[in-house]
Amino acid sequence: MPFRRPRFVNGRILHNGGNGIFYRMEVSIPDRIEFLPGQFAMVSGWPGNDPLLPRPLAIFRAGGARGKGTVEFVYKVVGRGTALLSGLHGGDPLQITLPLGNGFDLGREDRIWWLVGGGVGFSTVFPAAVVLEEQRAAFEVFLGARSRDQLPPREWVPGGGTPGRAHLCTDDGTAGFFGRVTDAVRERMDRLKATERARLSILACGPREMLREIAELAVPLEVPVQASLENHMACGFGVCWGCVTAVRDGEKTAYRRVCKEGPVFDAREVVW
Amino acid sequence: MVNAAGTPDLTSRVGSVVLKNPVMSASGTFGYGLEFTPFYDISRLGAVIVKGLSLLPTPGNAPQRIVETPAGMLNAIGLQNIGVERFVRDVVPRLADAGATYVANIYGRTIEEYEEVARRLSGVASLAAIELNASCPNVKEGGIAFGSNPEGLSGLTRRVREATGKPLWVKLSPNVSDIGSVARAAEDAGADAVTLINTIVGMAVDCRTRRPGLSNVTGGLSGPAIKPVALRMVWEACKAVRIPVIGIGGIQSAEDALEFLLVGAAAVQVGTANFRNPNACVEIIDGIRAFLVRERLAHLDDYRGTLRI
Repeated sequence: MPFRRPRFVNGRILHNGGNGIFYRMEVSIPDRIEFLPGQFAMVSGWPGNDPLLPRPLAIFRAGGARGKGTVEFVYKVVGRGTALLSGLHGGDPLQITLPLGNGFDLGREDRIWWLVGGGVGFSTVFPAAVVLEEQRAAFEVFLGARSRDQLPPREWVPGGGTPGRAHLCTDDGTAGFFGRVTDAVRERMDRLKATERARLSILACGPREMLREIAELAVPLEVPVQASLENHMACGFGVCWGCVTAVRDGEKTAYRRVCKEGPVFDAREVVW
Repeated sequence: MVNAAGTPDLTSRVGSVVLKNPVMSASGTFGYGLEFTPFYDISRLGAVIVKGLSLLPTPGNAPQRIVETPAGMLNAIGLQNIGVERFVRDVVPRLADAGATYVANIYGRTIEEYEEVARRLSGVASLAAIELNASCPNVKEGGIAFGSNPEGLSGLTRRVREATGKPLWVKLSPNVSDIGSVARAAEDAGADAVTLINTIVGMAVDCRTRRPGLSNVTGGLSGPAIKPVALRMVWEACKAVRIPVIGIGGIQSAEDALEFLLVGAAAVQVGTANFRNPNACVEIIDGIRAFLVRERLAHLDDYRGTLRI
């Protein structure tokens, strides 16, 4: 049976390769999973106790059949754990707990969707595009990176071949829009008709600063923003309470677990 | 020799509490137990020790709360919890339904709060024991003020002992100069068992940003990095007291657990390993059983405390 509730599985790497910036890893797992875009996995595969903790990676894609599943991750080397992951090869074992967290809510009809990814945040929002395409929903993609080589390969970008659907932005102007992705979103927002804006929903994942700016831009216009947050995690399934973020809880603030109540939060709730 | 069924008997006793095996989940690493039900049947555990409960719900510390260190991690969660009342109302029935043997870890800002939490739990029939957290290093009120010297610990233990008829386990801090005298103080004040070690106070800083890794600046170190310290302290405590000693600190595997049992622990708790592998506790139980089969031992009691020096 395909599974939706979290499980700890022993997987085996089928492919793991990258360009030194982004890596893409496909892993065979004992069964097919059903996941929502925005859900993630806790992954480890290196021998020994150091580093100790698995690393949270967004689920990029999943496939397979009953009794034989596959799952794919796209990740960036940001520290020791991801560096070790990038050094693993086809045939190597991998321990994975998945699927975890609350994904994006794509259930609303007749919406216009903007998928905003900063840095490796695209790996979290791209899976939403697959579902939206199946629903024949209208969407556009905004990607921000420091420079051209930090953007994902064109063929990974949903709608990348269609003019006007993918907005690539670089801080140094080496590709696409010269500026930050939040500036591109702001300019595009300014050109939207009020009727279009009323139908707009934003899904975003990236640096916290980017998410905060998107929230500040969209929330006053009553555009719903589902923001996928990141944090250091020990467990990934709600028991260590290490990954909390502050949210509004009535008049007070409360700490909610990014892994369990998140990683996708309503941007209006988050204390940025 | 194994028994007729060919399965070694892992039954372990912590005073009057009988556990089906010696492996318990450590407080603060296992939520309220129910979080693990997607992974396995939690009634398979010796016991579930739930996250530390206070009289009132506690918001916990501001992020950043955890930082990874070599073969370990520092945490300063700040005992975020739902409070004893909600625990009894919402969680207890579900733990009982799951058939779990469970123990409530408790803490207070004052001795009176400890007493009140213990009193409120005393009437919970399915609760196996109360574990007194006299050693959380991350909140001023987390018991470390009571638990860091024999006199303070003795006073706290005595008062809680009088407040509840439940078996009382006292969780000890390693941040003391003589663990034996602290364990003895708990024993003399009426504890039914001692649990050790809690985390070791540590610190991480970033030499470039010049900032601490934790918003609380200091935190509790756990994981394989602390195992040798924990093992030494458990061994010393076993020699110092007659009540059962529950060993905890860096246990990742069945071999690690067996080492604590070898130096005399009545049972063990598995903590940080649950983060890395949600199935850690049950894999350790299976590993202990397989070890006894290989060693041709019918009962864990035939192995416990048999260190050859």
